[in-house]
Amino acid sequence: MEGVGRVAAGELANAFCFIGAGGHHAGRNFFGGYCCFNDVVIAVRHARRAGRLRRVAILDTDAHHGDGTRDLVADDPEVLHVCICGSDYTSPDGTKVDRAAPDPWTLAGSPDRAYLDLAQETFPPRAERFSPDLAIWYFGFDGHRGDYGDNGLTAEAFLGLADMMMDVAGRVCGGKLIVVLGGGSLTTLATALIPPVIARLAGDSPSKPRSSGT
Amino acid sequence: MGTERSRGTTGIYYHPSFSRRSYLTTGRRLADFPGALATLLQQPHVRLFESPSADDDLIRLAHDPAMIPRVEADPL
Repeated sequence: MEGVGRVAAGELANAFCFIGAGGHHAGRNFFGGYCCFNDVVIAVRHARRAGRLRRVAILDTDAHHGDGTRDLVADDPEVLHVCICGSDYTSPDGTKVDRAAPDPWTLAGSPDRAYLDLAQETFPPRAERFSPDLAIWYFGFDGHRGDYGDNGLTAEAFLGLADMMMDVAGRVCGGKLIVVLGGGSLTTLATALIPPVIARLAGDSPSKPRSSGT
Repeated sequence: MGTERSRGTTGIYYHPSFSRRSYLTTGRRLADFPGALATLLQQPHVRLFESPSADDDLIRLAHDPAMIPRVEADPL
């Protein structure tokens, strides 16, 4: 809540938010998947009530569909919600979009490259047209190779997403970006992936990522 | 926390409880934090904040009030 408010108000350039429980599987009347309350939607509505923002563009790259978030923003045309998960869907007004992540078991090339290409063609053009006040990246690393949502990804994909989100936020909303930690279960991956993602937020130049193991 | 204007600052929101129990793990996925951020936190434009608690009024901005006791009763 506070991070979204302070970034929206321009008091912070951007923020990374750790979580104690997940949020994107929590809808108005339901919760599950180890999610309790929808932190992102609550924060957006709180900031709106304070007059700090109206339009928000959300990219969800947790391996599983953000069904709770979609339930809460389905009728809100001032939220662009793009989810890279397991199915394809586009709402009539184009503000709610799902794209199926590439299947690493049938790909001929790199899962990282295929995933980044899909993210690049799905989110930035829509965010540019949408012109949000703030961008939010729901960063789950469960799609990393060896974790429970294994999409065959490595650190290269997640750091590429971080670079993409910094770039698009810089172009469409003055760099106002919130990164909210999502799924992922392995300590080794959390330790390998989270600090370099935060380093991107802090302005470190993109470079070849170190191995995240597994 | 303060209210300084720090346009170029990256904020990190974290609470010690997140390293005891977090999401799909039994509590250890963030076991290395916040220590794993030590190098980053040496930068003057990176600040660590302790995540404040959210009261029920905030939760009701998104959720049916009847859901709150259901979450509280769930062992997760």
